Amino acid sequence: MRRLSEFAKAKVHPGSWWALGLSISILAGQSTNLWFVSSLIGLCVGLILVFRSTAPWARSLPFYLLLASIFVLTRIVFRVIFNGDPNSSDVALSLPHFNLPLGLGQQLSLFGSISWSTLSAATLDGLRLAAIILAVAMSNTLSNPRRLLKSTPAALYEVASAISVAINLAPQLIDSLQRVRRAKGLRGRNSGSSALTSIIIPALEDTLDRSLQLAASMDARGFGRTNRLSMRRQWTNRLVSLGSAIGLAIGAYLLVTASSPALPVVVLTLSLAGLILVIRLTSKRNLKSRFNRQKFGSADLAIFAVCAMSFALVMLLSNQMVGF
Amino acid sequence: MLKLSNLQFDFGNRDPLFSRVNLEFQAGEFALVCGPTGSGKSTFLRCLNGLSPHFTGGNLAGRIEIDSTDVTGWQPHQLADLVGFVNQQPEGAFVTDTVLEELVYGMEQLGVAETEMKSRLEKLAANLHLTELLDRELTELSGGQQQRVAIAAALSAGQRILVLDEPTSALDPKAAADIIALLHRLATEEGITVLLAEHRLERALPSVDSMVIVHGDGSVTKQLPTEAIREFRLVPPVVELSKRLGLTPPCLTAQDERLKTAVVPAFHASSIEQPKDFVGQAALQLDSISVRYGDSLAVDDVTLSVERGEVLALMGENGSGKTSLLWAIQGSGTRSGGTLTTPWGDTAPMTSEERLCVATLVPQKASDLLFLPTVSAELQDSDRFAKAPETTTASLFQRFAGRVDPSLHPRDLSAGQQLALVLAIQLAKGAGILLLDEPTRGLDYTAKRALAGIITELRDQGKAVIVATHDIEFAAQIATDVVVLESGRVKFAGTPAQVFSVNGLLASEVSQALQVDGLFSMEQLS
Repeated sequence: MRRLSEFAKAKVHPGSWWALGLSISILAGQSTNLWFVSSLIGLCVGLILVFRSTAPWARSLPFYLLLASIFVLTRIVFRVIFNGDPNSSDVALSLPHFNLPLGLGQQLSLFGSISWSTLSAATLDGLRLAAIILAVAMSNTLSNPRRLLKSTPAALYEVASAISVAINLAPQLIDSLQRVRRAKGLRGRNSGSSALTSIIIPALEDTLDRSLQLAASMDARGFGRTNRLSMRRQWTNRLVSLGSAIGLAIGAYLLVTASSPALPVVVLTLSLAGLILVIRLTSKRNLKSRFNRQKFGSADLAIFAVCAMSFALVMLLSNQMVGF
Repeated sequence: MLKLSNLQFDFGNRDPLFSRVNLEFQAGEFALVCGPTGSGKSTFLRCLNGLSPHFTGGNLAGRIEIDSTDVTGWQPHQLADLVGFVNQQPEGAFVTDTVLEELVYGMEQLGVAETEMKSRLEKLAANLHLTELLDRELTELSGGQQQRVAIAAALSAGQRILVLDEPTSALDPKAAADIIALLHRLATEEGITVLLAEHRLERALPSVDSMVIVHGDGSVTKQLPTEAIREFRLVPPVVELSKRLGLTPPCLTAQDERLKTAVVPAFHASSIEQPKDFVGQAALQLDSISVRYGDSLAVDDVTLSVERGEVLALMGENGSGKTSLLWAIQGSGTRSGGTLTTPWGDTAPMTSEERLCVATLVPQKASDLLFLPTVSAELQDSDRFAKAPETTTASLFQRFAGRVDPSLHPRDLSAGQQLALVLAIQLAKGAGILLLDEPTRGLDYTAKRALAGIITELRDQGKAVIVATHDIEFAAQIATDVVVLESGRVKFAGTPAQVFSVNGLLASEVSQALQVDGLFSMEQLS
């Protein structure tokens, strides 16, 4: 297992895990087949178990599994409470039926007999969400967020750094909370109304101190150094980025409303190209260099091929009206 | 190399922290920066890389020149390739996950080309003995290794000036000595100008070229160590010892030959003794105590006993199980096996309030225990909680720390005052056993002496005190008994004379200096 996780770390670009996660969530969102969705969930869990490392961010599988099962259960419970179907023939569960008058001649019907088809639809709904959660879990567990940060374009570096500091904040806060709680125990206090002031405030102070220390350390080591751009360059960058953003919005609107897909696709492609151009242009402002930047390799190509093939397969099947 | 002219710093309307500072540092100079706690040492150091005033606030006036370039008012990132900075706690300042990433981070920020990075990295890693550690995660390194990585990271972009703010305060004596030796080598062999702030002067004094004293009254002076030490009131034990023996100029290191030939007056057999009234009155008995976290055994089969009026020094390297043992004795920490007896019963099944009447612990970061906005609020809250008569805690605090403005925020107190406040609060319920975890961290000599006074007073009242510490001189001053732990086991248990003497496991400075049998602490001379 250890060897596999090291292989994944060395050979697979973190971006590929995210691409795979994204395609799995899209497939799960589109699917209407219980077995297909279940196998996607199995795939995600299997990938995590095989490729995960021992790092702190890789230990969160139980948490994600819990979250996913909560989603499935709530879906089913809600259907049982609100979607009783008294006239169904394939009754799975027969519960007493209540009618709650809501006034104005309206009434809310609760419980009643539940049909197999309602139950399986609810389960499918829940499982779809669960599959999406686990797909994100898979990407998050298998790719170190900080390594992904290394691969972001230089123009987005500041934003990405802010995100990575924020990601670090949560475990730090938990650590501080535990320490302060232990300290509070030393003073003989267990619980009480002063919990806010006596635990949360010192813990927040501590976390804030540490974040400031991190910021100071980053600054002292050169974070935030930039080249100066000419005024003309700056204005070009601003105009192109504004134009592309507007283009994206119009393209998205057209995609929903227009009858032919040709125009929106053209607008969207142009705007995307504009955005990429802007990112390249602003990256010039940064003088950062990268050491051992991870490159896309054969393993990544394989992952992308799998993603593309599964999409093609899905398109094919859905055209033939086969439930997948 | 580095020139400060007419430098002044103040926080708004208060008196300047320092003013009219004119100093010059040469390439390859190793300077020790010292001063009492709260004198503005840290701010002075942070001015050199722009963190003050840009991160700390305040106003800087005057002129800072590096290699004849005026860098006054530059931001830290503008100074990043000129000045490397290392903090007290390396783990808080690490930006990345692995040693390699940490070392290249600075170079990446400055846009060093990849081939250049590779060659610099190899040289740096070889020079600082980090080659085998390059792929390791930063969190799994020892404190000394972490600090070495921090130093390498601060120099990776080719900085010629290295500023360090108490880098050894969290390290055990051996790791600290290694770091000082490394800095000495960087200065002499690589020609790097090193400015080091350090509380325990005895660690650095033998190897530094000059001593910068931040006096706290606004003046900052630089002298040769031999001259500076003559007037400075915070002096390490060896200097105090040589003054006591009438040697002028005072000796800076325990290796000074004059100390070995000096005439030593008559001395007591021990530096501190258990009061006669309490002999034989057991306060704490541990029988094969063990503490296990998952697979690792932090404390392994420890048996020891402490009587009333005894002060037990718990020594050992980082990770030897001192802290785990203290928490197990207090009762709220993990205890996987063994029995614990006190006159008041076992502490483990007690509620946290009941424990306060039996065994009270002051953790490494004492300020974690303070959560109210003013000192007086803390004192009153403590009386109320302990159901003690009013001003019980306040009078304890005053005895420990002298007069302190009660309207201050606890976080604005000095490290010594914070410790005194926490001690007063923790003792308000009259616990019979006091547990202190690394209490001398961040304290200067004056504050340490005050703490030693408090511990002696508690001993006279018949409290049993256990102090976990790295600080050999401090332990030699206050301990009636010593236990040395190694990998969770008792390696040695005995009297201070056995442990701290010339041939002992942990020879104190005084023992090494005088090499007189049975003399290990200055307290014995009187």
